[in-house]
Amino acid sequence: MAEALVIRNLSKRFGGLRAVQDVTFSVGENETLALIGPNGAGKTTSFNLITGFFRPDAGSITAFGREIVGLRPHDICAHGLARTFQVAKPFGAMTVLANVMTGAFLRDKRIEAARQKAREAIDFVGLSAKEQTPARDLTTIDQRRLEMARALATEPRLLLLDEVMAGLNPSEIDQAVALIGKLSKRGLTIVIVEHVMRAIMAVARHIVVLDHGQKIAEGSPREIVEHPEVIRAYLGSGYAHVPASEAR
Amino acid sequence: MKRNWRASTPLALGAVAIVLLVLPLSVKSAFVLDIFIRILLFAFIGTAWNLMGGYAKQLSLGHVAYFGLGAYTSTILQIDFDISPWIGMLAGGVVAALASLPIGWLCFRLRGPYFTIATIATAQVLMLIFLKFRDFAWGAEGTTIPNLGNAPLMMQFDAKSAYYYVALGLLVIGLAITWLVERSFIGYYLVAIGENEDAAEAIGVDAPRMKRDIYMISAFLTALAGTFYIQYIYFIDPATAFNFSISIEAALVSIVGGIGTLWGPVIGTVLLETTSALLQSWLGSRIGGIQLTVYSLILMAVILWRPTGIMGFLREMRLRPWRARPAQA
Amino acid sequence: MLETLAQAVINGLLIGGIYALVSIGVTLIFGVVKIVNFAQGEFVMIGMYLSFFLATQFGIDPVVSLVVTMPVLFVVGVLIQHFLIRRVLGQNDMPQIFLTFALSLLLVNLSLMLFTANYRTVHTWYSDEALHIGGLYIPLAKLFAFALAMVLSAALWIFLHTTDLGKAMRAAAQNRDVAMLMGINPNRVFCVALGVALALAGAAGSLLMPFYPAYPLVGQVFVLMAFVAVVLGTLGNVPGALVASLMMGVAESLGIQFIGADSGLIVVFLMLLLTLALRPSGLAGGRAR
Repeated sequence: MAEALVIRNLSKRFGGLRAVQDVTFSVGENETLALIGPNGAGKTTSFNLITGFFRPDAGSITAFGREIVGLRPHDICAHGLARTFQVAKPFGAMTVLANVMTGAFLRDKRIEAARQKAREAIDFVGLSAKEQTPARDLTTIDQRRLEMARALATEPRLLLLDEVMAGLNPSEIDQAVALIGKLSKRGLTIVIVEHVMRAIMAVARHIVVLDHGQKIAEGSPREIVEHPEVIRAYLGSGYAHVPASEAR
Repeated sequence: MKRNWRASTPLALGAVAIVLLVLPLSVKSAFVLDIFIRILLFAFIGTAWNLMGGYAKQLSLGHVAYFGLGAYTSTILQIDFDISPWIGMLAGGVVAALASLPIGWLCFRLRGPYFTIATIATAQVLMLIFLKFRDFAWGAEGTTIPNLGNAPLMMQFDAKSAYYYVALGLLVIGLAITWLVERSFIGYYLVAIGENEDAAEAIGVDAPRMKRDIYMISAFLTALAGTFYIQYIYFIDPATAFNFSISIEAALVSIVGGIGTLWGPVIGTVLLETTSALLQSWLGSRIGGIQLTVYSLILMAVILWRPTGIMGFLREMRLRPWRARPAQA
Repeated sequence: MLETLAQAVINGLLIGGIYALVSIGVTLIFGVVKIVNFAQGEFVMIGMYLSFFLATQFGIDPVVSLVVTMPVLFVVGVLIQHFLIRRVLGQNDMPQIFLTFALSLLLVNLSLMLFTANYRTVHTWYSDEALHIGGLYIPLAKLFAFALAMVLSAALWIFLHTTDLGKAMRAAAQNRDVAMLMGINPNRVFCVALGVALALAGAAGSLLMPFYPAYPLVGQVFVLMAFVAVVLGTLGNVPGALVASLMMGVAESLGIQFIGADSGLIVVFLMLLLTLALRPSGLAGGRAR
């Protein structure tokens, strides 16, 4: 299987805090990988490194055969990597449709074509009824759907989803899991950061566990739940510290 | 309902255009015509500001830098090189657009209030430069523009109405550019940047390049206004060409009228300039500061009660009866 | 030469004390309320006019009139926070920037209407007095102003570090969410921050009056200085603003001494632009990357 994303020896520190230390993992094409770990483990920082919002201190990131360290976020998006943010960042004054069209313009600058593609993406995440609603009036959950539609409209090959299921009720989680399954069937490579274990088990075939910025385990869901390091990270000291960097 | 409104738009625009075209023919008072010219000019400056400040929410308070550069470029070309201000106007626009590159490089490193402060500072530095260097720009004393009588090729006219039509032409150009921007992906990108730059970058918007480009266009247009204004008053000095109140009014008319809307700057200018003209005719110009006192009160009222300006207010009024099923975007 | 240099440095330090009072106010408001107060200079102006009228109507010495200007401006600050700034908190940049900008515009033009653009000065017994130490010349009025400015800055520092209210303000400046979780009432803390900041601006006005003319635009000089100093000294950092203000005063004074009398402002603006170009990180809204 070809590799979609290869991360080697990635490191980033903020002052004295080692947010990500020497992390290495890779994602195969059309694979769904989950990045898990306690708060402050470095998951969101990893996303910010991969998508160009932070510049790593060391290490390399290769996406679809191209080194992307040093590229700016919009270049990385044009290269086929789209992300969502942990705290959704909608364009509040714009309607849902306009939000998603803005994403669609990346591949086609014509208004009508962008509108059509945006409608498809909106339909895919189930927001069609709220197409004309200003994004700021959406619920938090709908804002996350919107963000996913906006990312999909850029026609990514690799989708990075940062805690899209936080705060969902069980039936909504099932919907989200189904959605991710559908995306995977379409051939997308997906990396998710998630706390909802049930969802991770359902969508991911491969899991990478971070703790204090380091990779402590990697493997199939079954291997991970039985991994002693993982159990210690979650039940031991892991929840004692909550560094502020994760709040971003 | 919306469709009817849409269909009637060209008609309404046509009617407005005819009124605007015949207006100077029916107005004999130089005072009134002067007010119309000021309204057109500031609506144009506000429109130029609005492209960047309104859509992309880069809240500049230094646009007079480009107004002044346009004014000085065309005046220097005219007096020292005998080049027509019509050409000088375009040259001034180019100078301003080029100047916006380093200024933008500096200011766009900052966000929020510090961007605003940096734009104020750059405009002030430019004014100080023109004050200090007497050799090429007449220093603080400034200079008058030689009056050639009726010389349309040198942008000088006997009839005041001619200036009116030039200003109207500028405003139409500004509005046309805005209209095109609003209806293309550029408008979406600018608003997205203004709403959340990180999110815009994440979906492939090259925010620094978009900001740089729209700043250049905005600077270019603002410079045209500078040339026109100096030709209209036949005098230039740094205090006039780099007057901070021009930066303020450019932002104010847009905010009061409706930030990031096509007609906002026009509506804002009509309101503010009419208010100012009424104050002037009631009180004379005896009391310094009254105009800006009233402007600042209007601005505070808009910010506290209606941050979307008059346009936002009108839109809400229009949407209210059928908000349940909003119209096509 | 060396003497000229020393004299320029002393002149700069003395006026830098006044800049510090303004800067500390700006940095305090920014740190706690997360608003850049464009109108801070106008409160210096109001302090000056207040002192001017107290001096001319009641014969109160401007420096003594601190005891009036500071409480008055404290109250003004609380009212401005409660009735104006509170309403735009949490909104986007436009209202946040243009509210205090409109306030600045209003105060300048109101005072232009009420007091005209004429310069107002107050002459005190010490206005023309000076200490002569070696070859150096130290005007008494500026020395008083500097000394009191330092006393007030120190008092603020003690307030921020020893009282509960001061600690609450520092907590709010560091992390508003955590502060609210700790049960700190944000509006009360914000009101006090505005009050204290404006009281300092009022103090600056009173201290300036014996040697500096009052006029409607006088605040703009000081607020620009404050913006530079606040950026140089790291936003929200009180000792940083103090040190940076003294540096700004010296830099301006050296500019006037060695480049020309009208170049003080150019030096300030260039320092502002240089600062912004070289130190954009950690600024308000600066990239958190």
